[in-house]
Amino acid sequence: MSAHREQHLDLCAAFVLGCLDEADRLELEAHRSDGCSECEAEIARLSEALPVLASVAPSSVPPEALRARILDAVRGEGAARAPDVAKVLRLEPRRRSSYAIWAWAAAAVVLAVVTVTAWRANQVLRATVAYKEAELARLHTRLDETSRWVALLDSPDAKVVDLTLTPAGATVLRARATFDRASGRAIIVFENFVAPTGSDYELWAIRGAGPASLGLIHPDAAGRAVVKLDRVDDPAAVQAFAVSLEHTGGSGNPNAPGGPVVMIGRLGS
Amino acid sequence: MKAFEELYDRHNPMLWSMVLRIVGKAPDAEEVLQDAWLQVWRSADTYQPSRGTVVGWLLTLARSRAIDRLRSRMSRQRAEASEHIEPPARTSEPPVRVTQLQVQEQMTVALSALPAQQREVLQLAYFTGLSQSEIAVRLGAPLGTVKSWTRQALSRLRDLVPQEERP
Repeated sequence: MSAHREQHLDLCAAFVLGCLDEADRLELEAHRSDGCSECEAEIARLSEALPVLASVAPSSVPPEALRARILDAVRGEGAARAPDVAKVLRLEPRRRSSYAIWAWAAAAVVLAVVTVTAWRANQVLRATVAYKEAELARLHTRLDETSRWVALLDSPDAKVVDLTLTPAGATVLRARATFDRASGRAIIVFENFVAPTGSDYELWAIRGAGPASLGLIHPDAAGRAVVKLDRVDDPAAVQAFAVSLEHTGGSGNPNAPGGPVVMIGRLGS
Repeated sequence: MKAFEELYDRHNPMLWSMVLRIVGKAPDAEEVLQDAWLQVWRSADTYQPSRGTVVGWLLTLARSRAIDRLRSRMSRQRAEASEHIEPPARTSEPPVRVTQLQVQEQMTVALSALPAQQREVLQLAYFTGLSQSEIAVRLGAPLGTVKSWTRQALSRLRDLVPQEERP
């Protein structure tokens, strides 16, 4: 017997269905010749599906005369085999017709199919609901966030200041800062901030103790950017916002611009 | 003889529908089943429960004869340069039992749970007698793929069979 391989199980399925090619039939036959428990078990297991497959054939009733003809032909064979047939009959687990057996089984099969389908639909529905809930939560968060910033822009306590160009600044640059000193929140809007190749604009808060970097400005292709700062450190001490032109990546020192200051907006008292 | 009659009455309706589906003509189906039942009588001592259920054994035995009949008729027809196969003659048959129709309908639903290609492989293999290499050509799929589909499909169909109906 050849060593058992996974491919032999594929051949077992074709054997059960009776669709083996000749070469495969010979290979499986040789493999099973001395007994292969795995293949025998697989053949027995897969054979259980045959009544399901046979049941798909359009239902039809055999002619009554056929029964008499077959029984006559069998009687003509003599009684020698009768005990063997009786033994086969005893080996049947259920004393019902194959269709009666399968009528019951079919209902269970359909129930299984329907259950699996319903389960899958339920899973999809649950996933959809979970996704929608998460999306709704995200929208709520964004709405809250937007409301808070709108409130800042509308706040009578917020100070609005247009940053002015220094001699080093390009004339097209525009920037406006809205700053609420009490909460430390700020929105700074930039326009026409297209940095020359190899450079970046950097935003600064100027305090009595000196400048402190608020990070790089990342404009879109049109040079527009909105920087929202949830809390500027030590807001009471902030005297102005400024922008410097730095090499790409910004100033290496968070407390001192490395390049020229191009805009500045003083907040006053 | 009584045992044989009981076996016949239990399973012949299913064997008949399956054989008729394959050979397509009632007279051919009658001859096939007569051969098959005689074979059951003669080889009853060779049935081994470890190799499958009684109904599985009967189906295999009858199907094998039906496929032989189909092939021999087709080669005869080819010789006569005619490939026309008549559909099963249904009009003169007795009415089908409701149970039988329900089973057919429900099993078709069960089969529809399989992917289309696997379903087609099963039907081509079981009812037309095509070999796996012929099925591969018919479906335009690699032979190795057809072999995998065959086992996956049969295995999935078997897994749908309720535990209570297994030996």
